[in-house]
Amino acid sequence: MIGQTQKPIEEILEYLENKEKIVVYGCGGCATTFHTGGEPEVEEMAKVLSENGKEVLAAIALPFGKVACYAPMSKARLRRYHEEIEECDAILVLSCGDGLQVVREIVDEEFDHPKPIYPGTNPIGQMGGGPTLFKEKCQQCGECELGRLAGICPLTQCPKGFLNGPCGGTTKDGMCEVDPERKCAWVMIYERLEALGELNKLMEIREPKDWSKMERPRQIEVAPLSLA
Amino acid sequence: MTKAGSNLEKVLQAREFAVTAELGPPKSADPEVVRRKAGILKGHADAFNVTDGQTAVARMASWAACLIEQEEGLEPIVQMTCRDRNRIALQMDVLGVSALGIRNILCLTGDYVSFGNHPGAKPVYDIDSIQFVKIVKDMRDGGRFQCGEKMDVKPRLFIGAAANPFAEPFDYRPHRLAKKIEAGADFIQTQMVFNVGKFKEYMKRVGDLGLLDDVYVLAGVGPIRSVGAARYMASKVPGMDVPDEYIRRMRDAKDSREEGINICVEIIKQIQEIPGVSGIHIMSIEWEEAVPIIAQRAGLLPRPDIQ
Repeated sequence: MIGQTQKPIEEILEYLENKEKIVVYGCGGCATTFHTGGEPEVEEMAKVLSENGKEVLAAIALPFGKVACYAPMSKARLRRYHEEIEECDAILVLSCGDGLQVVREIVDEEFDHPKPIYPGTNPIGQMGGGPTLFKEKCQQCGECELGRLAGICPLTQCPKGFLNGPCGGTTKDGMCEVDPERKCAWVMIYERLEALGELNKLMEIREPKDWSKMERPRQIEVAPLSLA
Repeated sequence: MTKAGSNLEKVLQAREFAVTAELGPPKSADPEVVRRKAGILKGHADAFNVTDGQTAVARMASWAACLIEQEEGLEPIVQMTCRDRNRIALQMDVLGVSALGIRNILCLTGDYVSFGNHPGAKPVYDIDSIQFVKIVKDMRDGGRFQCGEKMDVKPRLFIGAAANPFAEPFDYRPHRLAKKIEAGADFIQTQMVFNVGKFKEYMKRVGDLGLLDDVYVLAGVGPIRSVGAARYMASKVPGMDVPDEYIRRMRDAKDSREEGINICVEIIKQIQEIPGVSGIHIMSIEWEEAVPIIAQRAGLLPRPDIQ
């Protein structure tokens, strides 16, 4: 999921300066999980904007499971609010940057004039876990290394992103020198490979990684999902 | 036959107990700081490391301070970290330092940016120190860039790497050293040794793996300046192991600097007894004046003159 926090309301109001009529759009995926753009947050945002003299034409919250970043879902929902979007001065999107930019593409496609669109959240990385604590585990490097590393990714979980074992900064109790509250990813890998009887995997030298697979922006084409 | 023809390489090949020392470049453009430190260190070691943005603090570039060292008649060991350069920049600098006559390199990962004075900097870490060692070796011995392309004139460098025998997982550390040697390290400089017993155990395991025929291990040492410094190193420097005995001695000493030098000399003498240790690397950290005293008292002078 895309971890995220809400932007300070002052920053949001700064974006919306001189914009009177607003459409608020929240996401039923990560933004709901992280309490930045689910139904309660969309409702609350509409209230705060009203209190600050804005007219909220529509407060759209995608239900849980419907995600702003999946264009077919956003397109279907946004079409129901064609009039409000036509009339509004700005759209405030409470989702990650993927969600916002998918919405922007849809709105650009469906309307003659570009609409101002602003973010209400700060995405802080793809992470897994929950329901309360989430941690960054994968950076989508394009060539998964987990098969050699006991299912723990040091590219993401080690600040230096090593593939050849721990640096010299592991503390006495096996913690990371950069954040002593966090266990060294390589100590975790070592312990797991040891338990699995696969320590030999740590003996071979891993060649420099092909970072061209992370050359941005990446894209992919797939067969469309059939949503009954 | 030498690989790079550096003085350090020749001293080690002649099976002399080698001595290297560290010179910290200034946080300024002042060459006189390097010259002054070089003047203090000259003649008291076989080669002299210049740190490369140690603790992620912006300082004069290692290669530049190495050139000043060279002008002053010292043999430099250029340190190069993967923190600030990707594989392109590293290979460019490898070619550059070799062209400038530098014959020793220490390939490092580099302290993480959050420890330094630009914590907002974007760390690079395109490759790690083991991959870097292998790249330098392939350049020197194979005349090949990492991408596989060939070069006309190969860099001539005696290749070093660092090792921390004390960091966790302790059982893995000798194997990590094996990887550095397999990658192409000619010499190793270790983290500062205070726990000699643990270092001895590490060296035994390294020997049991059959690694000592292929590499020269220089044990890191350094004088403690004060009881505060001893406590700091014991508790705050990751992967450093300072036994309580030394903290007590530093606390009870009338002259703490003198005691720090005494401890350092004692440790050197104990290290010399450990099989497989080819030399020492003195890291005096902004206390270059201590190096000649330590080298003298440890009986390491004069340094050999090998043609």
